[in-house]
Amino acid sequence: MTDAATEPTAEPMSEPAAGQTRDLSNARDMIVCEDVSKWYGDFQALDGISTTIKEQEVVVVLGPSGSGKSTWIRCINRLEVHQEGRIVVDDVELTNDLRNIEQIRSEVGMVFQQFNLFPHLKVIDNVSLAPIWVRKKPRVEAEEQAMALLERVGIPEQAHKYPGQLSGGQQQRVAIARALAMEPRIMLFDEVTSALDPEMVKEVLDIMKTLALSGMTMMVVTHEMGFAKEVADRIIFMEEGQIVEQGTPQHFFENPTEDRTKLFLSQIL
Amino acid sequence: MTAPTTQERVSHRVPLWRDVVVLKWVTQVVLLAVVLSAMWFLATQAGDNLRARNIVSTFDFLERPIDIQLSEGIDTKPDTGARALWTGMVNTLRMSIAGILFATLLGIVVGLARLSDNWLISRLASTWIETLRNIPLLVQIAFYFSVLTTLPRVGLGTGPINGWFHISNKGISMPRVFIADGFYQWLTVVGVGAVAAHYVRRHRQRIQDETGAMTSPILWGMGTVALFGVIGIFVHPVFSWLGVPLGAIADLLDSLPVIAPQILFSVIALGAAARWITRFLSAHRSARGHLSISDDDWFRIAFATLAALAVVVMLVRWTGFSSWTLNSGRDLFEVLENKFDVDGAARPFDAMRPDIIQKGKFPNYGKSGLTMSIGFAAVFFGVVFYTSAFIGENVRGGILAVPKGQSEAAMAVGLGRGQILRHVVLPQAVRIILPPTGNQYLNLLKNTSLAVAVGYSEIVQVGQTTFNQTGMTLPVVVIWMLFYLSCSLSISVVVNWFNVRMKLVER
Repeated sequence: MTDAATEPTAEPMSEPAAGQTRDLSNARDMIVCEDVSKWYGDFQALDGISTTIKEQEVVVVLGPSGSGKSTWIRCINRLEVHQEGRIVVDDVELTNDLRNIEQIRSEVGMVFQQFNLFPHLKVIDNVSLAPIWVRKKPRVEAEEQAMALLERVGIPEQAHKYPGQLSGGQQQRVAIARALAMEPRIMLFDEVTSALDPEMVKEVLDIMKTLALSGMTMMVVTHEMGFAKEVADRIIFMEEGQIVEQGTPQHFFENPTEDRTKLFLSQIL
Repeated sequence: MTAPTTQERVSHRVPLWRDVVVLKWVTQVVLLAVVLSAMWFLATQAGDNLRARNIVSTFDFLERPIDIQLSEGIDTKPDTGARALWTGMVNTLRMSIAGILFATLLGIVVGLARLSDNWLISRLASTWIETLRNIPLLVQIAFYFSVLTTLPRVGLGTGPINGWFHISNKGISMPRVFIADGFYQWLTVVGVGAVAAHYVRRHRQRIQDETGAMTSPILWGMGTVALFGVIGIFVHPVFSWLGVPLGAIADLLDSLPVIAPQILFSVIALGAAARWITRFLSAHRSARGHLSISDDDWFRIAFATLAALAVVVMLVRWTGFSSWTLNSGRDLFEVLENKFDVDGAARPFDAMRPDIIQKGKFPNYGKSGLTMSIGFAAVFFGVVFYTSAFIGENVRGGILAVPKGQSEAAMAVGLGRGQILRHVVLPQAVRIILPPTGNQYLNLLKNTSLAVAVGYSEIVQVGQTTFNQTGMTLPVVVIWMLFYLSCSLSISVVVNWFNVRMKLVER
């Protein structure tokens, strides 16, 4: 993050082309992790994770399976509970306080590997459920918003079908629309293309790119190296519950410093 | 030698014994013929054997006087066999409906309790389930019965609230609310209220959809019905004029010839068959109008046509049914006419307190109170507790079967615990819970026949007494079977209807 403008007045927040590194050093902190650790019995899943994610930053988390990527991302909206350290999301600390948890969950959208759409509800009801019941929006308004979001992810014609009638790629796009319906400030993506047929991966990645360009703060766990190279502001490489190395895509793919990173890259590229 | 071309292979005539279409049809027809002739053979054989041994099996006893004393029911001293069996059926239905209702409620509580985070509650629920489902129901009923017989005798019985409730070894007697002369007029007012409630509910729903305010539309709808119910107590005589049109209908039915219902039912049967066939055909027609119908489908169509024709033939041959519907329709409307034709002072409901009468040597409860005998109580507790253990397991299994990802996704969009349960988990769990719970309802219905052990007058007990007196074992058993069969099928139809309605839509 050195080649962008150094002057804070030089529009650091304007929309740069994808893949181009931006200076986000003056942006506010959206996610702060300090020494976060978690154990499953004797197995340590997270081992002292410390990092700060800025507003509008797109962070891609890479690493071999079992390295704790998913556990970490699930700690951020408290689907998993961390046992040591602090996690602060948008100036609210994640504690056992139910009110904090609910506030953070309604500000953090999440998309899952297995879509997890509600199979008994129509697509449009999947998207409008939370705005109606959590945000207390009038149904008419929530459905208009849902239609606009489905338009945005390119499947307005599927609004009145059930998830089971859609292809995997379409379902994942609905899942993105459902998360966006809560107007989140942060989006978490947990291996969202891993369960998709190859020809459907692109349609989902394209939507994530557009979302990144629109200035959304994003944290993405993925195995799509092309996406990481093109869209990420920063890549975090994890192994055995620790952050091994982090940096710009350029640094990460071309001049990695750590041996473990080099090994990982040699195995996947 | 050259290999045959495709053209040659296709044009080659298939011999009949290798043609799957022909084989399928022959099997269907042969099977039908075998089944029908087997039934015919067994029926005639049984008839011959019974005649040879001088056993007469007729249903005449239904209309003959009978000397029988029933423990409880709509008629404890029925004058005919039919009336006795009918009382038994009503008692069975009474037990089954109450049992299904309470077993469901208790089962839901037990199932949820077993999933509770609270250690004590979940242990208690497990103990409940494991104890009750591992002891035979008959033993449980005997246990409840023997416990209840230790209650004091009627004379010494406890009447806690100044004679409103009595508990003794003859049962529990409580005030009885029953319908009085003004009931039907009041019911009409409530019917109008139900229509009004529909619009109120829709109106409140629209407000909620447009503004997002929580308007509790269902509560408002129920409130409207309740309001009409209360108002109806005072204003119900306004509907007394309804007796006139009802009487006119009765007169009209009286003047109709028998051919009218014959024509009506024939048209309904043929129309239903035609409707079914057209729907069936259009369901098998692709978007481009191509009809794809298999041989089995043709068999179904043929069967539907034959069934409709059979109904028409039966209606023509057996005029008894048509004249019976005419007469009972006329009777029904005459009864309704009389129900509405009452003076304005009639109340819709009346209530009576329980009384104790001296019957011979022993005191017993009289007819004015609502009395639950200890036989009823023992069977009721037996089937409710026993079935609640199984339903509880169904509920627990159904909720656990909803994938964890569902509640995670719901949490991730910010829904609270109660909202997740209501909007995401329960709607999916119900689909899993319902089919096995329907089976439990069938079991409960059939298990009520164990009441014979404690002398509760349900259909099996009444039937036994009836054939002991008349010797008509076979006809009574046939009536038992038909009764249980039609009850079970009714439950199945309702459960299946729910299943189909709730089925998840897949591609």
